[in-house]
Amino acid sequence: MTSPGALALATRGLRKSYGSRLALDGLDLSVPSGVVYGFLGPNGAGKTTTMRLLTGLLHPDAGAIELLGRPFTRNDRQRLFEVGALVESPSFYPYLSGRANLRALAAAGAPVPKGRIEELLELVGLRERARDKVSGYSLGMKQRLGIAGALLSDPRLLLLDEPANGLDPAGIVAMRETLRRLAASGKTVFVSSHLLAEVQVLADVVGIIARGRLVREGPLESLLTDQGVVRVRLPVAATERARNALQALGPVDVVDAPSVPTNDSVEMWLAIHVEPSRAAEVNRTLAEAGIFASGLESGTDLEMLFLELTGGEASSEGRMQGIGTPDAKGTTGAAS
Amino acid sequence: MRIFLSGLRKLVGRPASFVSVGLLVGLLGLIVIASATIAQRDESTAAARRALAMVTFPGAYDLILSFMLGLGGLVAVIYGAAIAGSEWSWGTLKNAVARGESRTRYVLSTFAAIAVMVAVGLAITFVLGVGIAVVGASIAGVSTSGLTDADTLARLPALAGRGWFSVVEQAALGFAIATLTRSQLAGIGAGIAFYFGEGFASIFLPDIIKYMPFAVARAAVDTGAGGGFEGGGNGLTEALTPDTALLLVGAWLVGSLVVAVAFTERAEITG
Repeated sequence: MTSPGALALATRGLRKSYGSRLALDGLDLSVPSGVVYGFLGPNGAGKTTTMRLLTGLLHPDAGAIELLGRPFTRNDRQRLFEVGALVESPSFYPYLSGRANLRALAAAGAPVPKGRIEELLELVGLRERARDKVSGYSLGMKQRLGIAGALLSDPRLLLLDEPANGLDPAGIVAMRETLRRLAASGKTVFVSSHLLAEVQVLADVVGIIARGRLVREGPLESLLTDQGVVRVRLPVAATERARNALQALGPVDVVDAPSVPTNDSVEMWLAIHVEPSRAAEVNRTLAEAGIFASGLESGTDLEMLFLELTGGEASSEGRMQGIGTPDAKGTTGAAS
Repeated sequence: MRIFLSGLRKLVGRPASFVSVGLLVGLLGLIVIASATIAQRDESTAAARRALAMVTFPGAYDLILSFMLGLGGLVAVIYGAAIAGSEWSWGTLKNAVARGESRTRYVLSTFAAIAVMVAVGLAITFVLGVGIAVVGASIAGVSTSGLTDADTLARLPALAGRGWFSVVEQAALGFAIATLTRSQLAGIGAGIAFYFGEGFASIFLPDIIKYMPFAVARAAVDTGAGGGFEGGGNGLTEALTPDTALLLVGAWLVGSLVVAVAFTERAEITG
């Protein structure tokens, strides 16, 4: 936990219900200043509700919010002058151009310096299309315009809900670089996302929410080190022997991925919860037991951590997007 | 002030603004030209005499105003509902609130911009309506010497001012209804239903309906000319005096805005 003085955003005991449905159940977030914070959770876990509360769109039933070191309540709307936000899908006047929409947005809230709009249109790559009506924009272009809107007042804290939505690969890379650059300049970027692979390469700190409560928070690197995994692909017939041989190294999980049929046998993955640096040791242990792996991967896996912490309640969409995407170490995550 | 000016810029570029004025001018033009054509063919029947009055000045001024303020009220309800409803439907209110903007200021500034647009729209419609009536007079072969009638021209500004105030009140009603429904379409639908519903209800409850928003708006600008476009049942109501009606128009206007502001302030903004 970071010391309270250095927090850009903090919530304490945040509760919110919609009728009888409890959306947030005492959420405690601690977002340090100057980092990219990945806010993860399955669909319906309370991510968007949290974003709405942080931007004053909703009012909490209980609990407290601190933005940039000061309390944020119903009457403190000016605290949001130093906050930029993109909540849910980007919203614009469809009959106005991209530039006119940013001008309309700039008229609300904190004053926007002259020239800032042109600067941002350039930054998000929309200068050429700035005169076109937003109704003709693709989802990705609207998303980029939304990010420009969030940056209008040069905020110290940026709250982005699924910022990669609709962006093409080049757009995702550009967005990632922009967000990293903002964090490097001392700003805090709070990104809510279900794209685990994206968060894994972007975030410094992550918070995982499930059923309205924070279930894990901390620096990504240390969380992943704790969650280190080495996977080996073996014939099904050898898995029991391998499991016994590997017991000395750490807990062994059988991955419930589809088995892989080969010419003379059916293979499957075993996952061993050890630090990724012990991959050679795993291989040697198996070889000494007369078992030869046809595949070996080592790495850290945010998806596995996520599923473990959220009780595997990721949506089918979330799972699909986690499968087969390279993680930070460049390996390919097997389904878990 | 920034929100108000931005609101004006948004409305100037909005197709609904052009469509509203275009609808008023277009219908007025059709009626005037049709009246001129009828008057040209035959002057003997009652219908022909009424048609002739439509293109004969200075009486044509009152008829144009009566038409504008009658149909203008319905258009204003729809316009106010479209603007307020779209702020919720498109999520643009959400953007402003998330930037720390005051909800009350945003709502009132947006409505102030609507009020200015209503004034501009009515002025354009009136000028074009008079132009069309002059053309109609020429078609019907009627003199336009009454165009500069001093008495009529002297009372026009006050009547136009009252008319603007009444139409703004009706826009406020649409604005408040759409705010309550949080939807452009629902707001427009409910606004239209209210407009015609009030007119029909006046058949059964005239003593109550005469205090209702559309009835007081009509009574406040009663030119005595008739011929306006009005909701069903109108005319069965014994109208209030124009000055009393104007006070009630103010009350309905303020009430509508208070409802819109209070609801927006308390609303949980989702979607």
